[in-house]
Amino acid sequence: MFKRKRSAEDFKAEIEAHLALEADELREEGVDSDDAQWKARREFGNVRLAQERFYLKGRWAALDKLMRDLRFGLRSLRQSPGFAATAILTLALGIGANTAVFSVMNAVLLRQLPVTDPQRLVYLRTSNPPRGTGTIDSNETFSYPVYDALRKQNGGLSPVIAFVPLSGSKVAVRVGAEPEEAEGDMVSGTFFSGLGVSLPLGRGFSEDDETKSAPLAVISYNYWTRRFTRDPDVLGKTMYVNGVPMTIVGVAGAGFEGVEAGGSTDFWIPLQNRRELNAWGNPPDDGKLYMADGTWWCLRLIGRLTPGTSRTQALAQLQPLFQTAAYIGLGGKPMPGEKPPVLSLADAKSFPGYDAMFGNPLRILMAMVGLVLLIALANVAMLLMARNAARQREFSVRQALGAGRGELLRQLLVESLILVTAGGALAWGFALMVTRLLGRWARIESSLAPDRTVMLFTLGVLVIAALLFGLAPLRVALAGKAELALKTSAATSNTNAGKSRMRRLIVALQMTMCVVLLVGAGLLLRTLRNLEMTPLGMDVNGLVVFGVKPNIPSLEVGRAFYVNLTNKLRMLPGVESVALMEERIGSGWSDNSAMMVDGRLTDVIGGGSGTVRSNVVGPDFFRTLGVPVLSGRDFADSDTASSPHVGIINEEFAKRFLPGVNPLGHTTGPDNGTYTMTIVGVVKNHKYRSIDEEPIPMAWYEYAQIPMVGPMDVEMRVHGDPLAILPAARKAVQQIDPNLPLIRPMTQRAQFETTIATQIMFARLAGFFGFLAVVLVATGLYGTLAYRVSMRTAEIGVRMAVGARRGQVVWMILKDSLVLTVAGVAMGVPLAMLVGRALTSSLYGVKPLDAVTYLLAMAGVAAVALAASAIPARRAASVDPMRALRTE
Amino acid sequence: MATQEKYDDRIALLQGTLDLLILKTLVPGPCHGQGVARTIQRRSEDVFLVDHGSLYVALQRLEDKKWIRAKWGVSENNRKARFYSLTPQGREQLMEKTSEWQRLTRAMGLILEPGSALKGEEA
Repeated sequence: MFKRKRSAEDFKAEIEAHLALEADELREEGVDSDDAQWKARREFGNVRLAQERFYLKGRWAALDKLMRDLRFGLRSLRQSPGFAATAILTLALGIGANTAVFSVMNAVLLRQLPVTDPQRLVYLRTSNPPRGTGTIDSNETFSYPVYDALRKQNGGLSPVIAFVPLSGSKVAVRVGAEPEEAEGDMVSGTFFSGLGVSLPLGRGFSEDDETKSAPLAVISYNYWTRRFTRDPDVLGKTMYVNGVPMTIVGVAGAGFEGVEAGGSTDFWIPLQNRRELNAWGNPPDDGKLYMADGTWWCLRLIGRLTPGTSRTQALAQLQPLFQTAAYIGLGGKPMPGEKPPVLSLADAKSFPGYDAMFGNPLRILMAMVGLVLLIALANVAMLLMARNAARQREFSVRQALGAGRGELLRQLLVESLILVTAGGALAWGFALMVTRLLGRWARIESSLAPDRTVMLFTLGVLVIAALLFGLAPLRVALAGKAELALKTSAATSNTNAGKSRMRRLIVALQMTMCVVLLVGAGLLLRTLRNLEMTPLGMDVNGLVVFGVKPNIPSLEVGRAFYVNLTNKLRMLPGVESVALMEERIGSGWSDNSAMMVDGRLTDVIGGGSGTVRSNVVGPDFFRTLGVPVLSGRDFADSDTASSPHVGIINEEFAKRFLPGVNPLGHTTGPDNGTYTMTIVGVVKNHKYRSIDEEPIPMAWYEYAQIPMVGPMDVEMRVHGDPLAILPAARKAVQQIDPNLPLIRPMTQRAQFETTIATQIMFARLAGFFGFLAVVLVATGLYGTLAYRVSMRTAEIGVRMAVGARRGQVVWMILKDSLVLTVAGVAMGVPLAMLVGRALTSSLYGVKPLDAVTYLLAMAGVAAVALAASAIPARRAASVDPMRALRTE
Repeated sequence: MATQEKYDDRIALLQGTLDLLILKTLVPGPCHGQGVARTIQRRSEDVFLVDHGSLYVALQRLEDKKWIRAKWGVSENNRKARFYSLTPQGREQLMEKTSEWQRLTRAMGLILEPGSALKGEEA
């Protein structure tokens, strides 16, 4: 259709030539010159018409036809605005939901780090840390001595890049007068050059900067935009990080948000070796900072494979080096019977940790929206089929008038193209909106905006939809031969057993998918309800929490700071009580280790796991939280460095490690036996790390008595609105040190809710998609039934004319949808059970085979079926027999 | 509807006939469009008055089907013209169409003039 060898000019030239030849000939025959030309032209006939006929053979004709088809399609859609609106909206919802979830999945699981040649980047992993070490993650973090040994090799990995946050959350930062908080990492000198991150402004770090622990900082593009409104003069400014001055020397490229999971890093500084800037903001352990401490595995490592080296080769070179370095500071070799750690390399293409956090929920959501899309596509296809079946007379007449099958096909495709284009455009807008909401709910700070991959995905779905919608109704359209229009009536030409069986099957399948979605949504919503109703074991109403990171040059200064702070805060009006804690409760973090009880290790006593979750807290801790003390007492101001060391345990601890005895008076302490405290209290079990944790043995140290003091969190119980106390608290803190911001201030309730943020989002979305499925299925069923009733008007008229009662007619219609519902539900329940099993790990307090959920889902589908059938059934019952018969 | 069918028939008949006539005209050698028109008119003793517009469209159609090919050249009286010639495919088509046409005319003759057709059989 698009190939054309000859131009219109060439054709014109040929005709000119013809006229000239003809005139020549006429002149030879004796006609005079002027007359000959005129006669030649007259004999030729209509020159323009010939040219036009030639022109119509070309591509312009095809475009003309397309435009005509488009106009025709728009006109015919305008004639049924209800149909067009339903179809477009259904498509927009179905495709939009898929685009949104896919773009989150793409950003979180599939998108690569914005670095050079990410295929050659690998994360270093260890099978296990050596005994006697503390880790951030037992497989993903390493000690500084290990990093130091690996970076000095020049084998398979070059460079080896280390990075570690300055804090588990944010650190105190000051540029200018006002202190604020920001997320910062300490990184090796090879961080920017090794990853291949571009710096549009300034420079990155060098290895020399690392060696010298140079006081420099690079800020992220995001932070530069947010905090400095992209002011190029930011270079050279001084940024105080935990009070230590750093000079800003660079801005990282747009889109690079660091390599920390789930967060976006605001700034980077070279690896430092000073108290104020220890890794993770921890206080020195036994006087040692992370650089000197082989027992603290706190750094994450990334390596770049040197060209031409495979992972296996690189590993072979690094393994012996690693296994030696792993025991630096640990006695040089494994303990007897200990399995040495094994190094491995993992893909560093995407962000670490995202998969663990969001992988499963996202995959399940993707499957859910996939089902929603199927339902939506089936709906629109059925709508189109119904519409085109109703137009069969139109098609027959057009065929009889000489329209070819090709022309009909083209017209149907164009109509579906119009629907799909409109639906797709709407879907894209819808997806952008939903994606933004998703990001907020999930607290994913990295960019979720759809990119090219997402666009291709959506286009793919749209193309499939367009073809499906164009081709599905074609069979119906062509089945009506030209003569059909002439020999059948409107009322009977459309009743065809085969077609309606197909439609019924589709409706039943939609019900099946609806059951599956409702069961999934129900299980997740019940999970959410269970989580929200879970007793925390404390009274979180009226609790507010914030962090402080004071500069602590010595133990005594640190302790004095906290005593001073506690006293100042207690004096604020409206404050009932104040408590300190090292790990903020409800933050997902906890200190886990074995402990000693009366000189014996806990893992020996219980036989099972000896893990105890411990925390370091201040006076009045349990009174402030509202946790009942079962026996003994709470910590008090009288517990000081010079008084006897005291500790408190929970019920679970007493049950497991001191069964059958009064725990008060027994001793406990850390597993290395360096510190012992006497148990003075037993408290009721309550939640520490997150809402969904099971009861676990817990123990509390008094902060003023242990040989370590670092940043702490402050818990305050106040009267009235908890957040209203914050300005006064900020003032109190800054009276002691003007450099200190309040870190992540929020209510304790909100803090606990962050631990179920993913579940909340997951359940809300699943609920929304379940609802969407119900609405779609309802419209689909209603459409099908309404259509069938309108087709059977004549039949119903006859039935009523020969004595059928209204009730019987209503039952006839209802029976139709009832059968479909039963069939759909029967297929849906086993499928839903499979889905329930897949969801098991995401459920809390509800079984995958929860009977209530299944019953509710079935009832929901049945209700939808009934509601959707009610209107067509009533319409059928109100058919006037005489009118129905007269329509013939 | 009847009119439509009649119209369709006429077109089909005309198209087929014109194609056959063009192919036949080109057997002696290459010729330009005006020459083809003249030849048909002369040979049919002016019974066929060829519509020149249709002729050129038909020429183009035959060219698209690769039954004839065209080349710009110079006529005997030194005019530029587009010369058409038969391709081997075109020759085959000509044979086929000719025998088809002969069978058609014979059948028509049988029905329209039974006597003469009988004579033809005897002959």
